[in-house]
Amino acid sequence: MKQKPDVRQGTLALMVLKTLDVLGPLRGYRIARRIEQISGDVLAVNQGTLYPVLLRLEQESAIASDWGASKNNRMARFYRLKRYGRKQLQTETRDWEQSAAIIGRFFAPKVEDLS
Amino acid sequence: MRFLRRLLVRLSNSATRRRHDQRLQEEIEEHLALQTADNLRAGLSPVEARRQAMLKFGAMEAIKEDYRAERRLLFIDTFAQDIRFALRMLRKSPSFTAVAVLTLALGIGANTAIFSMVDWLTLRLPPIAKAERVTTLASQEISGGYSNAFSYPEFADIRNQSSALFSQVAGSTDFHMDGLSADGKSESMWASYVTGNFFETIGLKPALGSLIELRPGSSIDYEPVLVLSYSFWEAHFGRDARVIGKSVLVNGHPVTIIGVAPKDFHGIISLLDTQGYLPLGMAPVTADASKDFLTNRKSTGLTIIARLKPGVTLGSAQPALNVIAHRLCADYPSTDKWRSLVAYALGPMSPVSDPDNPNILRLVSALFLILAGLVLILACLNVANLLLARASGRLREMAVRAAVGAGRSRLIRQLLTESLLLALIGCAAGIGLGLMSSHWLGSINLKTAIPFVLDFHFDWRVFAYAFSLALLTAVFVGITPALRATRVNSTDLLHESGRTAAAGRQRTRGILVVAQVGGSLMLLIVAGLFVRSLQNVQHSDLGFDPSHLLNFTIDAHGAGDNEVQARGLLKNVLPRVRALPGVETASLATTVPMGYTNLGMELKIEGYQPPPGQSASWAGYNAVSPEYFETLRIPILRGRAILESDGQTSPHIAVINEAMAQKYWHGENPVGRAFANVDADTEKSIEVVGVVKNSRTGDDFSSPIEPYMYVPLAQHYDYQMPVTLQIRTSLPLATMNREVLGVAHGLAPTMPVFDVQTMTEALDTLNGLMLFQVGAGLAAALGLLGLALAIVGVYGVVSYGASQRTHEIGIRMALGAQRVQVLKMILGQGLFIVSGGIVLGVFAAAGTARLVGRFLVGLSPLDAITYFGAVFILAAVALVACYIPARRAMRLDPVVALRQE
Repeated sequence: MKQKPDVRQGTLALMVLKTLDVLGPLRGYRIARRIEQISGDVLAVNQGTLYPVLLRLEQESAIASDWGASKNNRMARFYRLKRYGRKQLQTETRDWEQSAAIIGRFFAPKVEDLS
Repeated sequence: MRFLRRLLVRLSNSATRRRHDQRLQEEIEEHLALQTADNLRAGLSPVEARRQAMLKFGAMEAIKEDYRAERRLLFIDTFAQDIRFALRMLRKSPSFTAVAVLTLALGIGANTAIFSMVDWLTLRLPPIAKAERVTTLASQEISGGYSNAFSYPEFADIRNQSSALFSQVAGSTDFHMDGLSADGKSESMWASYVTGNFFETIGLKPALGSLIELRPGSSIDYEPVLVLSYSFWEAHFGRDARVIGKSVLVNGHPVTIIGVAPKDFHGIISLLDTQGYLPLGMAPVTADASKDFLTNRKSTGLTIIARLKPGVTLGSAQPALNVIAHRLCADYPSTDKWRSLVAYALGPMSPVSDPDNPNILRLVSALFLILAGLVLILACLNVANLLLARASGRLREMAVRAAVGAGRSRLIRQLLTESLLLALIGCAAGIGLGLMSSHWLGSINLKTAIPFVLDFHFDWRVFAYAFSLALLTAVFVGITPALRATRVNSTDLLHESGRTAAAGRQRTRGILVVAQVGGSLMLLIVAGLFVRSLQNVQHSDLGFDPSHLLNFTIDAHGAGDNEVQARGLLKNVLPRVRALPGVETASLATTVPMGYTNLGMELKIEGYQPPPGQSASWAGYNAVSPEYFETLRIPILRGRAILESDGQTSPHIAVINEAMAQKYWHGENPVGRAFANVDADTEKSIEVVGVVKNSRTGDDFSSPIEPYMYVPLAQHYDYQMPVTLQIRTSLPLATMNREVLGVAHGLAPTMPVFDVQTMTEALDTLNGLMLFQVGAGLAAALGLLGLALAIVGVYGVVSYGASQRTHEIGIRMALGAQRVQVLKMILGQGLFIVSGGIVLGVFAAAGTARLVGRFLVGLSPLDAITYFGAVFILAAVALVACYIPARRAMRLDPVVALRQE
């Protein structure tokens, strides 16, 4: 069996926030599918682990959930981004880009960086 | 901030559990339905679509657990869960629970009871404000010893010169026996005479009325007032609040009761209950202290209590105290022969006169805490064994739990919760047992009129001790079984019967039982040593004959008599008592052998020079009436006894014991030789007229007998001290008591008569045999408890081992093994454990020899008879414990045994 990279909880939370930011209010299942699609099979985590993360984000007031009707008129829980979550997404995106850039530079040094 | 918000939400969530579980369930259903729909669309069969959706979702229970963890404070949750489960498990096997709880209760109870005694003896401070800031002073003499008895002028000098160190310095003469007459009755009352600032110094508030206070402008109080102790007020005035303002007589002098001290305050003398307090200035009036005691530096007897100023510590006060001591020593070289003054904290055992001397009570405390601790360890080992046996039975349960996703730490926590619960229930029951036994200990009759305080009440320290023992017990008892039970590989186990896995456990249990047998043997040996020591003491040659000897202590002074009246009274008592029917002989004495009072004097002996470096010549003494030696049956070896003709005005004489003759006259005939009492005002010569056989007088049963002498009561009569009438008679005490009371009250109707007991009873007091008896009793109780626990352990392991091997025994017998061989096999395992334990126990007991040896009389701490006896008892009982399961195994029917499983 192929070992899949372990997804850190913080990373998963960031993905959730980004997904909601891009696609607007979604059901849990849709969030899971989206993350799966974007990351490819590489990040096919146990989908169930998403729910504790969603709950945590909700308790941090980063997201909120509402009980509403879906397209096919089934009642379902929809998650949406809140202001605090958007702010958090911005800071974390910036942080992430910074550290990604630093790590990237380390692994692929350019000539001018070495001089 | 984020953390805080989560915490608050979680706390509120902890209360609303169900709703959230439902929400998760709905979301999971929703998720699975959508996934299944997607899978169907991808062309899978309905069943496969659902299966794939479940697989993709992941471990359902673990996610639920994570979800709950996210939502709430997990540890509270799981703890409550564990407790609920543990309670259910304990309820499911009531006999196991009962045995375990009872075992732990015995262990914890024994420790709690012993600790309550230790607490009282060594830890508890008097209930006064900031007791740790109150100190008491002792002078270190140039000769080396310590003394805490000061004269009033010394007290005044120290007080005046130490104002930089102490905010208050107070003095008291303690434990003076007075007679208190109120409402036509006379009682003896042990009183302290205190300086006016005494109560202010220790910071005491009255329970009723007011306390003795310093009058402005005077340093010493002459008011005829009396403060009662709470217990005395309770016992003699029935807690009647109207005693305030009541006029009573103390030794015949009128005083007014002004207040009652608080309930738990027993005075500053540890172990003793001071029953009344009078102003120091009253001492010459009621207690007939010498009129010049305020100015005479030789008249010592004052205890000094001082409260440290804020910021001053015992250590920082010491240099200044040295300076004061040197100054006073230079000013008064004849009386204040001090090297230094020492301040030490007012402890539960103070004032002690020698701060350097290791406190024997601390050693006793340490020894009994060790013994009781050992009992608890034995109890723990037993319960650990029970838990191990249970753990083998629960291997499958553990495997199933591990298979559904419980982590090892979670399983260990679950098992520890169970043992914690056991320990806590055991602790509660143990505290109950402890309360019962310490109540019983506290009600021991000390057989004396002296008011001792036996106050083993359970304060917070005792409860804290019991509780921490319970926690320790829980871990100690639970950790090995928990580690063992969770170490197994679950898949292997679920496929097996579990017998192989249990084999290793059996070895651990065997080791535990070896330790148990060893510990129990050690307890037995120590108990045996104590019991044999008691026997030695009981049968030791006292040098006098305590049988058929009755004691009555009478106090002429307490009835209000002055010296002339008291002498007249004593003169009349003896002829009347001797005339009573059944009285063989009768005599009077100031002290009783092994009693609470010992007298001694420093001697100046012609032709004897104490060897350099040794203290001055010294001898203990007793002032006795004629016929004393006949009454106590002490043989006269040389010269004569004390006679009626040795009166107050005739030449002073003494009858000495062999030890004194040997020490000061080197075996020459001392009769006719003379010596003088250094402390007496007139160094009147005392002539030796006779020598008697050595006999025990002090509280020591084992050391060589010290120089001792007997002087005529008429020549050394201190009428303030009560005297003891001793009667040799074959009549019972009750009969004699009536007659003697008749005689005594015929002479003085209000004369206190107390300590009425046979001499054998008198020997059982705290200074005599009582400590040996209590010690031997406690040690024996602990020893038996330990033995019982060890036997249960041995029996448990051997019979469990045999039952585990039922199948094997069946096979062996089917293959032709003889029954005796089976018996040997099972017995052999038991024997191995027992002999291992015996070796361990003998070494452990030998390890305590140094400590135990301090308390033994007439035998070595490695006494062979005790060791062999204890080993024999233990081996015999343990063999029976092994034989029963072995015989059961031997009688197994092989057919039945093979069918088992």
